[in-house]
Parts: sequence; C-alpha cells; structure tokens
Amino acid sequence: MAHPQIAIFARLANGGQTPVRALYGQASKLSRTMHDVRYDAVHDEIVVPVPYAQAILTFRGGADGQEAPIRIIQGPKTGAIGSRLDVDPIHNEIFSYTGNTVTVYSREANGDVAPIRVIKGPDTQLKRPYGIAVDPVNDILVIGLNSNFGSDEPITVEDTESLEKGGILIFNRTDSGNVKPRGVIRGPKSGIIRINQMQLYPQKKLIVGAMPGIIDNMEPEGAFLGVWSYDDNGDVPPKWKIPANDRTKLKKPFGVVLNPKNKEVIISDMRNQGVLVFSVPEIF
Amino acid sequence: MRKAFHFVFAPVLLWLAYGILVQAQADRKPVVIERAPLRFIKDPNPSFSAVAVDSDSNMLVVSDENMFRIMEYDRRENTPPQARLSEPKRIISGTNTKAEMICGVYIDPKTKEIYALNGDTQNWMPVFSTDARGNVTPNRALNIPGHPFQMAADEGQQLLYMTIQSDNQLSVYRKQASGGEKPLRTIRGNDTRLEDPHGLALDLKNRLIFVSNFGNGNVRGTGGRYGTFAPPSITVYPMEGSGNIKPLRVIQGPKTLMNWPAHMAFHQERQELFVANDADNSILVFRASDEGDVAPIRVIKGPKTGIKSPPGIALDAKLGELYIANMGTPSITVFPATANGDVAPSRTIRGGPAGAVGLMIGNPGAVGYDSKREQILVPN
Repeated sequence: MAHPQIAIFARLANGGQTPVRALYGQASKLSRTMHDVRYDAVHDEIVVPVPYAQAILTFRGGADGQEAPIRIIQGPKTGAIGSRLDVDPIHNEIFSYTGNTVTVYSREANGDVAPIRVIKGPDTQLKRPYGIAVDPVNDILVIGLNSNFGSDEPITVEDTESLEKGGILIFNRTDSGNVKPRGVIRGPKSGIIRINQMQLYPQKKLIVGAMPGIIDNMEPEGAFLGVWSYDDNGDVPPKWKIPANDRTKLKKPFGVVLNPKNKEVIISDMRNQGVLVFSVPEIF
Repeated sequence: MRKAFHFVFAPVLLWLAYGILVQAQADRKPVVIERAPLRFIKDPNPSFSAVAVDSDSNMLVVSDENMFRIMEYDRRENTPPQARLSEPKRIISGTNTKAEMICGVYIDPKTKEIYALNGDTQNWMPVFSTDARGNVTPNRALNIPGHPFQMAADEGQQLLYMTIQSDNQLSVYRKQASGGEKPLRTIRGNDTRLEDPHGLALDLKNRLIFVSNFGNGNVRGTGGRYGTFAPPSITVYPMEGSGNIKPLRVIQGPKTLMNWPAHMAFHQERQELFVANDADNSILVFRASDEGDVAPIRVIKGPKTGIKSPPGIALDAKLGELYIANMGTPSITVFPATANGDVAPSRTIRGGPAGAVGLMIGNPGAVGYDSKREQILVPN
C-alpha cells in the first residue's frame, strides 16, 4: 500500500466523491497497516494504531491534513502494538494486543507507558488475535482470531488440511491474567475462517464482525459480514449475515462500523478498494 | 421436597435449559441479508503507484493500486487535453496473476519481462512475458514475505535488491529466483537505521545502495520489540553489505524537505539521486555524495507540475527524462531530468479525466464513523 492516510468522507458520499478531509504526511506519524480506527464520541477524538512504529496515536476529532497527534503511546514499556484496537471512553481505556496477549492502556496515557493489565496464558485460548472490540455498558470484551494461513506455516491455499481457522473469544471487560473466555464461537457452522475488524452493539448485545475468508485468496469463497449474540457459544452460525456476492457487491469485507442513528452498517472492502453502506434496520 | 428441588431438579432443569439453548444456537439458520448497498464509495480511476520505463522498446509500465492492474503504455504517449484518458496498450489483471497491490515494477532490459512487486495482501513478485495480458498466470513468481516496496536490479551480477517494510530490511535475491527461494543476503538490525524503508536506488559505479526511510523504527531490544519515530532519511550502504551494518552516511534533517520519501532513481552519469516526495507533492534531487542536513540541489514542485502525492519515479537516463507516478490524480507526468521549480511536464499520460482527484483508498482494513460530524473514516 503506497500511500498511508485516513481519508474522511461525508456520510452520504457515493461513487468517486472526494473526501472532505484527510490525515496524512510526516507530521501525522501515520503509516501503513492501520487496520483499525475508532472515533471516541465522548471526547471527540480519533484513535488509530500504527504497528509499523508500534504506537497508538490519538488525534483531535476534527484533525485535518498534515496534523500531529495530540497523544502518542509508544516505547519500551509499551512494547509492540498490534494492528487493531478499541476505545472504552467510559472507563478511559484502550484495548489492543501484542502477540497472543491482550493489552489494556489508559486512554489518557501519553509516552512510554506499560499496559495497566493484560490477558494472556493457555486458558485464554488467545492465538493470533486480530479483531478487538469492547462494550463498556455490558462489560464485554470480544477478540477475533486469525487463521494460521501465512503466519505460522508456509501453507498454500489448497492445503486446507493444515488450515487452523480463527474464531471469536468473549471475555469480561475487566478480565486479567490467564482467564478462560466466557464464550467461544468457532467451527464450521460459524463460517469463520478469520475475523478482522469488529464492532459491538450494546443495546442488543450483538457482535458484528468482518469475515474476509482466506487471506491469500483475492476473491475468497464464503466471505461475509456476520452478526452474533453475546450469549453465543460453540459452533454457532451468525444470526444475520451479509454475504459477499454480486447482489451485495461485497468481495472481501475487512472493516465494519455501525451508524445506529440511521440504522446503517458501513463496510470497508479490500478487493473493492472502497466503502459500502447498507441499510440494515433489522439488527438495530 | 423443597430441598430435593434445590439439589436435584433445579440443576437438572438448568442443564436441560442450557442444552436446549446450545442446540438452538447450533441449529440457528442465519437471516441472510441480500441487498444492494445504499452507497458505494469507490474511485472510478486508476491510482498509479509505480512506474518503469525502457526507451529501447518504448515501454512504459505502470501499476494501478486501485484496480489491481499492471498497464503498459507507449512511453511517447501524451494525452491530448480534450481526451478523457489514454488507453494502455495492454493490461495484466485478475485473480490468476498473483498481482494485487503492486507498488513496484521493473522492466528487464534484455527480455522486456515485467517484474511486479506486491507491497500488500499478496506475498508474491510475479514476472510476466511481453505477450502477457489479461488474467494470465505469471511466467514465474517469487514468494517475498514482509511487504516489499521498491526493487532495483544489478544486471551485471543478475541480482535484485529490494526494501522490505515490515522487517526494516533490505533483501538481495537472485534475479531469476522463484517459488520459496530465500534471499542471498539481507541488511537488517538496530544498527542499520532502516526505519520503514521505502525507496531503493543503486549506484552501480560506486557500488552503493540508497534507501529512503519514512522514519518508523522498530527496535529489537532484550525485553522485546518497541517502536520509535525518527525524521525521514536516506541511508547509504555498500552493495555487498550484509547483516546488522551501520549506514555509510545518512541524509536527514529539515533542510532536506523530505516528507514521506518514497521511490527513488539514480542517475549514474550526473551522480544525482531523485526522490518522489509523496506528502510534499514534489521531486527532490540530491547529490550522490550528500550527507547530513542538506538542501536538495533541485526541487520540482508547484501547481504547473501536476505532481500530486507521488510515490513512484523512474529515470530514463538515455533520453534524460523522469517519469512520475501520481496517486493524487490519475496521471504519469514526464519531465527533463534537469527540471527545477514549478515547471509544466513535457508530457502527461492520464488514466482518467484531467483534474480528477484520487481517493487513494488502499487496502482499507478498517472503517470508523464520526457520529458528531456524520463522517466516515477510512484508514489505509
């Protein structure tokens, strides 16, 4: 990806309509592989991970152009930062991960700070965490897991025998240490190969996750956006799914965010190099 | 009886209820939502991320990150002002090509094969013959983990040099390498000052490698890895270097005007280094011997140039021309190698309408929503 940026579009943008603003350039400290972005409506801030510099950047909500972040979490105490995160604006925490460890930082931290707690250990079932989302109302933390394709072993797309698929782990928001998840969604009925960005909808206790299929397939079979419940456990199909096909125009959904006010699900799609907005009143 | 309920029936009931719940979840039929999107934000034009030129064959090869294409134009093409765009001579694109997010291209001066570097989403460098077009399988492909960005060849030694972003590394491969072949050697480690390396150019006469860095450091300490931010830089190494070596010299500082320095090209005879300066909408030219906080000797920049968010640059030393790949607008702009200041390009090859603004959405791994301003945030 040749040009890192955060492009910001009007909600009603369509087609080739240009962004209303964009964050970019040396001063912004942005770099590629920003596989999450969160708008903190309580504090009017944008929070984004930059794993190439192992940092979490916080910008003003209205930041524009070559603007510097207002806070940076980075350094030896902070350690490595994964490519995804979520913000809990109520309890003032940022959730991320490094390796197979979930890390929690103070939202207001700035500089080289250590996590205030971590979740790690064999009982956690954390293996290749990739998506992350927190619900500060119902005190739920959800982790999406990646498959082992391209990470653990040099397997090929056809080598499905050694493909270890991902899943969704459900924890309590305040969990710490080597804790068992309260729920695990995984298995063939779930349809999950790997989970990318996730969102939680506290009002209906829903988990919304992008399932883009096998990473190396340009247009993978079976990709979808899935909606599960906090109470789901085991090999459970999603309650709702938006499949990738000609009708929906989805090809490889990577990111998702909800707009409850307008009952919209907004999906970023890698193979489309674009953003698709769906009206989905039934889930809100 | 009450005790019996507490100790026998209640647990049984709970167990049954749990079993029914688990079974109901497993037997659930998802509600499949099959509807068209209300809106679809998508750039209709190409986004040119890299360019290569071969004046002997008049080949101009560009990569389009937006629509996952490799396109060949005649290098002499000049889109008339009234034309919507110039049609390429051929397009290589599709799921068989192993080419997706291409950020580097190279033309073999003898065979005219096209080498294409996937900078993201696919760990492959496919190689295509002169007759390849459409959704073709490449002649061969080399697996390159870690997100490469630019390559340059030492044709005399039949070696390919490339920057690897994820590992802050330079890798040197056999030019004919394919499959899972490993690099012959790498330059990597804390002493190298490689910090999110992007561009790479070779001075074949003095046997030097020039590398442009965005400044995102990744320190491997005894307690694990952590990140740093540094100003952008150009670091210089011997071509035969290997391992955790210090750069011979470093160009870095505010006078350099570097702002996301991306692809580079080297002019052997003039001993000049050309840098596509992405976030400054400019091309910087340094002397090969420059070191420290030095100003460029020339800067191509300004509204007349048409340069907008340029990650790509190629030099035709024989004819003395520079080719610039712009992502901020769908064009390749051509300048004399001696151009300086706010000058109009000698030719412009457009892949879309004049004045079109590139959305530059690239591998959007996430999306956010600003509920206060009612805006959609799309990071690359």
